[in-house]
Amino acid sequence: MIIDPISIALITLGGVLIGLGVHFIPVGGAPAAMAQATGVGTGTVQLAAGAGLTGLISAGFMYNFLATAPGGFGTSDFILVLASGAVGAMIMITVTMFIGQLVYVYCVGVPPVSAKVDKDPITGDRQDIYVSQGTEGHGVPTVSFVSGTIGGLFGGVGGSMVYVQLMQIGNAPADPAIVALAGIFATGVFYVNAVLASYNIGGTIEGFHDPKFKRVPKAIISCLIASLLCAIIAVPIMGGVS
Amino acid sequence: MIDPITGLGLVALMGALATIAGAAEDLESDVGSQSNPNSQVQLAAQMDFPHRIFNKAISGEPPAYGLWCATGATVASVLLAQNMSVIFAIAIGSLAGAILLGLFSVTAHMGRTASQKRFKQPVYMDMVIGHVPSIMAHGFIAVFCIVSFSYIMFEILGHPFPLPLLAFLWGITAGAIGSSTGDVHYGAEREFQNQPFGSGLNAAQSGNIVRKAESGLRNGMDNVWACAKFGGPVTGLALGWTVFFDNWRSTVFSGMNAVIAGLIIVLILILANRLVEVKARKAYGPYKDEEGGAEPA
Repeated sequence: MIIDPISIALITLGGVLIGLGVHFIPVGGAPAAMAQATGVGTGTVQLAAGAGLTGLISAGFMYNFLATAPGGFGTSDFILVLASGAVGAMIMITVTMFIGQLVYVYCVGVPPVSAKVDKDPITGDRQDIYVSQGTEGHGVPTVSFVSGTIGGLFGGVGGSMVYVQLMQIGNAPADPAIVALAGIFATGVFYVNAVLASYNIGGTIEGFHDPKFKRVPKAIISCLIASLLCAIIAVPIMGGVS
Repeated sequence: MIDPITGLGLVALMGALATIAGAAEDLESDVGSQSNPNSQVQLAAQMDFPHRIFNKAISGEPPAYGLWCATGATVASVLLAQNMSVIFAIAIGSLAGAILLGLFSVTAHMGRTASQKRFKQPVYMDMVIGHVPSIMAHGFIAVFCIVSFSYIMFEILGHPFPLPLLAFLWGITAGAIGSSTGDVHYGAEREFQNQPFGSGLNAAQSGNIVRKAESGLRNGMDNVWACAKFGGPVTGLALGWTVFFDNWRSTVFSGMNAVIAGLIIVLILILANRLVEVKARKAYGPYKDEEGGAEPA
């Protein structure tokens, strides 16, 4: 019985990228929904999954187009599918953060501000004096916005990588059963890694400038182990044992 | 392969459906009080503020909407396989999703409220009867629109994912967007209109939600009335943009050009966000003086 180690490695890498991406996404959880914390007012897993799965839809479209075209599926096609997934996720997350920002600014009436740094590392704007009393910041300042976009990039690439690899093992791009199985597995791997990363974050994170971001190495190790287990289960089910 | 003009028309139709779906999704979560702002509704009774706000947090909105939409799309797929007309199949499927939502709403509300007996929070039966149809109606519109644009994507644009999976994934996205955008209007503004406008909620005020309405005692209907003026429409805009932009770039362009077009959209949004940030900082000003001391005069 032989299991292709490259497939296992790429699925695991995809899972690790998802876990890494979640740490970049600025989420304030329930406090942010009351403008009590910086970031988007929802849970880590929810937003990361929403973005990553939008990327998965885009990647699925692109994969189907390239894999069913004459000439087969090459390395450049692989990169194109990953890029498509990444951009799909980035569009979702930027649109969500932007509209969320409009709600904070025009509905709640608060300026976007980070409570974790005195100056925005990208724009250099002073932050601490714009934090309203009794809160941990509010809205999505530029540094968090850029961080979230990077998070979407990693999440989209990771999710697409898992999907493409499973489809390559299934080796039947037009078979709806294989597509459904790969899609559901990719979603599952996404949730496993997003939840693990969420435990590491512990509720809220503002982005790569947040001190909590230093916990990333722990998440990478956990996601590596969890994704490896997922890959070992997924590959034989997709028919990847010879 | 369909011609580009028809493709663009379909993408526009999908964007319009997604806009309605997003608005209905957010408003449903306002009538029923779901997701993060519901933590305050839950907390209110415990802080000695009994209320008449419908309290249902079945789960986070994304998995909840994933479930309703996947249910709707599965029923629709079965009916379509029996050669039923598309509109009827999707409508009946969405009805199944809405009934499931109604069932979960009743059990979640009664379970949550009954568990707060020790805090003297009553279960108002008139609220259950009054709110659940409205929750189901909003849910029906959201599920119908999401399954409809998933159907267009699957059947006409040729997306490889089966309809239930596609609707499931879009349901998760719709829930994530609703929970991230429109709910902030409900959580940070409508629930706390008794606090000064123009600041985040002071943690010391947690649980002190507004319990009196423009007339009588406030309930979920009063909340959806207010949130329909801003939170709902902007949530619709967010889901509409996501669906439209993501499909527009792959319809108009192909290959790497579609990726570049997507990156340009992302860049524009980053710049637009910066403009809004600068405008907000100028308009509202700091809460403390430059030395970080007392409030400015």
